[in-house]
Amino acid sequence: MALLELRDLHTFFTTKKGIVKAVNGVSYSVDAGRTLGIVGESGSGKSVSAMSILRLLDGNGYIDSGEILFEGRDLTKATNEEMYKIRGNKISVIFQEPMTSLNPVFTVERQLNEVFLTHQKVSRKEASRRSLEMLQAVKIPNPTNVLKQYPHQLSGGMRQRVMIAMALACQPRVLIADEPTTALAVTIQAQILKLMNDLKEQNGTSILFITHDLGVINEMADDVAVMYCGQVVEMASVETIFGENPYSHPYTEGLMNSIPRLNTPTGVRLEAIPGAVPHPLDLPKGCKFAPRCKYATSRCLAEEPALYEIEDGHQIRCFYPCKADRTRDIEQMKEAQHAK
Amino acid sequence: MAKYLIKRFLYMIFVFFIVSILMFAITKSVPGDPALKMVNQQLASTDPARYQIALEEARQSLGLDQPLPIQYVKWMANTLSGNFGFSLQYRRPVIEVVGTPMFNTVALNLCSLILVFAITIPLGIISAVKKRSAFDQAVQVGSIIGYSLPTFVIALLFIYLFALKIQIFPISGSATPGTDYTGLQRVGDYLYHMALPLLVSTFCSLGGILRYVRAAMIDALREDYIRTARAKGLREKVVIYSHAFRNALIPIVTIITSWFVSIFGGSVVIESIFLWNGLGNTILTALRNLDSALYLAMMMFYVIITLIGNLLMDIAYCIADPRVKLQ
Repeated sequence: MALLELRDLHTFFTTKKGIVKAVNGVSYSVDAGRTLGIVGESGSGKSVSAMSILRLLDGNGYIDSGEILFEGRDLTKATNEEMYKIRGNKISVIFQEPMTSLNPVFTVERQLNEVFLTHQKVSRKEASRRSLEMLQAVKIPNPTNVLKQYPHQLSGGMRQRVMIAMALACQPRVLIADEPTTALAVTIQAQILKLMNDLKEQNGTSILFITHDLGVINEMADDVAVMYCGQVVEMASVETIFGENPYSHPYTEGLMNSIPRLNTPTGVRLEAIPGAVPHPLDLPKGCKFAPRCKYATSRCLAEEPALYEIEDGHQIRCFYPCKADRTRDIEQMKEAQHAK
Repeated sequence: MAKYLIKRFLYMIFVFFIVSILMFAITKSVPGDPALKMVNQQLASTDPARYQIALEEARQSLGLDQPLPIQYVKWMANTLSGNFGFSLQYRRPVIEVVGTPMFNTVALNLCSLILVFAITIPLGIISAVKKRSAFDQAVQVGSIIGYSLPTFVIALLFIYLFALKIQIFPISGSATPGTDYTGLQRVGDYLYHMALPLLVSTFCSLGGILRYVRAAMIDALREDYIRTARAKGLREKVVIYSHAFRNALIPIVTIITSWFVSIFGGSVVIESIFLWNGLGNTILTALRNLDSALYLAMMMFYVIITLIGNLLMDIAYCIADPRVKLQ
């Protein structure tokens, strides 16, 4: 059974111009000890779906319908009191911006201690001891000094390590990593990713890894969910998504083609997905991706495909999931136009 | 830190002297002759010769016959040795003249300051947390009215409401006439008389500070680290009063210390309406009557208070925000 499962989640935001359906029927699940990578462009609903889990939405956001099952309980129905006990304790988060995610007026020690003092019955002294241990676990050099320092005295990479220490302090079952390395330099990125993987192995924590970086997903994830316009368009194991597979969603295919590879010949232009993500208040009627899809037919524009299992453990939201078929179709269409 | 304070102190002395020269020069360039005050004006028509002699004598006694630089040095030397001069208007040493109004002004302003922050900080926080709620909107409207209405309108309104319609406070003065209270009774009577001017000056300052606190708090609540604090499982109370307020405090500290200077500043309007013998009217009459010793002394006093106030602000800022280093 999955440790954390989202079932047909709808998270909406009320704005002056109308209701923004940021998450529109999302289902995914994370098994114990595994990493689920969520990829998508900005505004695809990946972060919002994750923040819905902890009910940390901005003031105008709310969960409209759906279930979030964690250890068999539905978190959408949990009381505030129950949520306080889950946040930072059983499910914790690492955010994208290490520079602004720590409180500038408190020392690292105070911010780390807070987690222990909130969730565990420990003395201040014991909390400090554990905080020091956590800093050692995330391999911060000179941890005794760092404890007494303020966030502005640390580099971005160090701050992200502090954030990781804070998130893992209570050995949570699930760690939500919301683009944890996007704001970091590449070398630091690799160190942080390795650290997260090591800690995951040690503690058996499941990770929900949100990113738009496919390279990072390939390295970190066991399973991948590709999101577009508030929906999951494809979900499979990382091998299926990145390997040779007869089936894929055209959006995933587009994403894959946009990555430069070692064997890409020089002089060949990388393929880009044309157009832009539709405005959340003005979504297309049929398939949300149809206006940008080179394989789209009249059916795609009129009707919305459902997410269905095409092979074991591989779900796709597309009428034409077979790569070979749709490529052949599009060529036939071109020939037909030529003939005319 | 110590090095910074020493540097800062030397700088303050430098500024003090520059400003004192400016003040002195401005005072001296004001038209009018203070010596006239010391001479019986009827003499001018009855005995012009004696009048001239008397005038010369008066000038000499005031040191006005000497060149300006010498006058300045003498005045400065006196001031630094604690002799602030002699008020021509009251014919008493300045320090004696200023004592009572200074006490009245500081008492009124200090109470008002405490009251203003005791009201605006909790109200501002609640407003920020419940942004755009009915409560917040009511507070917003109230604060706009509070700071758009001129002081005298509010003063008259309060007198009408609390001294005429419901007679709970005396209309004016600082003691009940005809009484001879001592000790605690006198203090009580004094506070009773201060109540209405205190309410008015507090009410007039509420609006601006309230909006300031609210804005600082809204900014703090919007920061990423607030989301982190919530994600840690902290209770909303801890998030608001510890994490957010501690950050909102940084801009608030700045205005609290800037109020340090205004504690000593009298309000002519409130003092006139409530017949409250404060510094505002004292300085105004001194200016009108060319009582240069008095207002020069007061101006220099404000210079020192402002310089100390700025230093306090920097130190407070440094304490409130660990990112700020005094160097």
